[in-house]
Amino acid sequence: MNFRKIFTIILSKLTIRILRILKKGGTTLPGKVAFKLYPDILKSIAKDFEVIMVTGTNGKTTTSRIIEEILKNNNVDYITNKSGANLLSGITTTFIQAVSPLGKPKHKTALIESDEAAFNQVTKHLQPKSVVVTNFFRDQLDRYGELYSTLNAVKSGLDRLDEKTTLILNADDSMCASLGHETEKPVFYYGFGEAASQQNSENINTDAMFCIFCKGKYQYKNHVYGHLGGFYCPECGYSRPAADLECIGIQEAGSSYTTIKWKCSKALSADEAEHTTRINLPGLYNVYNAMAAATCGLSLAYSHETVQKSMESFECGFGRMETINVGDKSIKLILVKNPTGFNQVLNFLTLDSQPLNIAFLINDKLADGTDISWLWDVDFEHLNTASDRIVNLITSGIRGEDMAVRLKYSGLDTKKIRIIKDYHRVIDEGLKAVADGGCFYILPTYTAMLDIRGILKKKFNLKEFWK
Amino acid sequence: MYQLKICHLYPDLLNTYGDMGNILALKRRAQWRNIDVSVTNVTIGDSFDSEEYDIVFLGGGQDYEQEIIQKDVLTQKGTEIKNAVEGSKVFLCICGGYQLMGKYYKTWDGKELEYLGAIDLWTIGSKERMIGNIVFESELISDNGSPLKIVGFENHSGRTYLGESVRPLGKVLFGNGNNGTDGFEGAVYKNVYCSYSHGSLLPKNPLLADHLISLALKQKYDKFDGLNQLEDAFENAARFTMIQRILK
Repeated sequence: MNFRKIFTIILSKLTIRILRILKKGGTTLPGKVAFKLYPDILKSIAKDFEVIMVTGTNGKTTTSRIIEEILKNNNVDYITNKSGANLLSGITTTFIQAVSPLGKPKHKTALIESDEAAFNQVTKHLQPKSVVVTNFFRDQLDRYGELYSTLNAVKSGLDRLDEKTTLILNADDSMCASLGHETEKPVFYYGFGEAASQQNSENINTDAMFCIFCKGKYQYKNHVYGHLGGFYCPECGYSRPAADLECIGIQEAGSSYTTIKWKCSKALSADEAEHTTRINLPGLYNVYNAMAAATCGLSLAYSHETVQKSMESFECGFGRMETINVGDKSIKLILVKNPTGFNQVLNFLTLDSQPLNIAFLINDKLADGTDISWLWDVDFEHLNTASDRIVNLITSGIRGEDMAVRLKYSGLDTKKIRIIKDYHRVIDEGLKAVADGGCFYILPTYTAMLDIRGILKKKFNLKEFWK
Repeated sequence: MYQLKICHLYPDLLNTYGDMGNILALKRRAQWRNIDVSVTNVTIGDSFDSEEYDIVFLGGGQDYEQEIIQKDVLTQKGTEIKNAVEGSKVFLCICGGYQLMGKYYKTWDGKELEYLGAIDLWTIGSKERMIGNIVFESELISDNGSPLKIVGFENHSGRTYLGESVRPLGKVLFGNGNNGTDGFEGAVYKNVYCSYSHGSLLPKNPLLADHLISLALKQKYDKFDGLNQLEDAFENAARFTMIQRILK
């Protein structure tokens, strides 16, 4: 009987209770307490679970939620960390909640989303069965240092894991795919086929333009977005690996869904037929998320049928694209946190034919990234393609003024741009400008989302985010 | 009609921290005054003739990208850049671009990388990064008779030291600046302006942007008699908010 372990679990559980009663969320502090009391706590609890991990810059939460749907549709009991508690402490809290005071697990499967910069730390304690890596983009460089150091940290984290760990990697991302280079571990790749993304052109301001192995300049057979696509290095021959799950065509791309055609390799699934699936989210980045999750599901031998059903039916993660109905109007809350994700959001906003009412809520707290220079790497100029449909642009948050400057320099009509610092007024004035049946888009950074969601929750009765 | 030709050097490699913002600020502020403006991207392998441009911009990059341009900048474009600097061409160099204009970069473990040597300054690497908001005051630019307070964000591990012929761009009021010890930020030599403040330096500090535009047009047109004022409400709001928050 390990009394230290039992004592740690009980005390941590108590901390969670108290924080919940105080309505503080309680997703990270209990984990921190547990580590102080017993540094091996996570290792000791997690060894009894079959762990699926998801990491990478963009799409971790959405990918995890689709995998969650696959588990549900296969009647697998699981635990998972939600609400962005994806650092070591939050992950530890998740596991402590999932065991009895004696440390016995209530379920066998754990689906864990891990911050890419924390991944290396987390894998010191966990031995996952599968690891999904979504992509690498520049994100919060003030916190992570350089993009290549993030990639190297994830690589060291993977090197630590035993050779049975299955890797699920993005074939179109030269950085992500490099993790599958010269590894003994089984690897499955997902990506866009050449025919599915031929219309997209090159973007000069991208990450990873030069070969990770020899520094030659990549050439592309096709571009999807950012640095994603059919890359190859003419100098050393490193190129996009063949995808085991490939999107072979986009049948329809709407402002709230995407219909894709896809197929699998023999290695991944016995079913090599072409499938047509409607994903209930817009934007190519969500197609990547769905493909990542499906590849993970199929690699775990779940049926094609349940995987496809899950791609079609999942609900969106916390703040990733939540819809709140207010009478005849709606509010859509979409988290923005780095240039590539932001560009994708702007892209599908301009796809729509509706009038555009958008609020940008930009904070610079630690969890948002204290440096807001990345706003200048976002292609707000793209909004000019829909300038006649833009009704109202509100900027807010701690750095709302900087956001207004950014919009002004993108060439948009300054008469439509207003700085409103008070969130109650942002909601009221935003909704007021929307016609019946229309939508008010709120695009917050992470901590701004927590704040605005708190207000929306009171106003319109939303669920607590940790449920 | 005045003409302003901007050269963006290595835009595909030195672009880590929102450097496009500086190009956009120069471009828009010229356009809003009906100045005919063009931006030319010049990268590895391209020829660089400084005579064709009025302002040259060099941004910041990660170590990986800086290694890639190293050879091109030293052997292909180095002499031309040095001649342009001596010929009083207007340059804006940020972060990695700033270091690159100096004589060398000595890594924290003692390895010395030869840089351009266009300006008498040098950088010594450190394990510790200096990251955060910065405010500094520049006597070279007047804000209604007072030295201009410039707001930015710094993120660098190199510590830069200036030789005798080089003036600092400003005095640090908050943050680290060039090396965290002497209290100065940035460098000015002839018409070359260097700073560790990246990303939104010019858009949020419009007087600095206008100062560079004026310098360039003064070089080009004998009869140039200054820029008309623009409406800068958003820019000033962004700058004042940060000055108040940081210096309070």
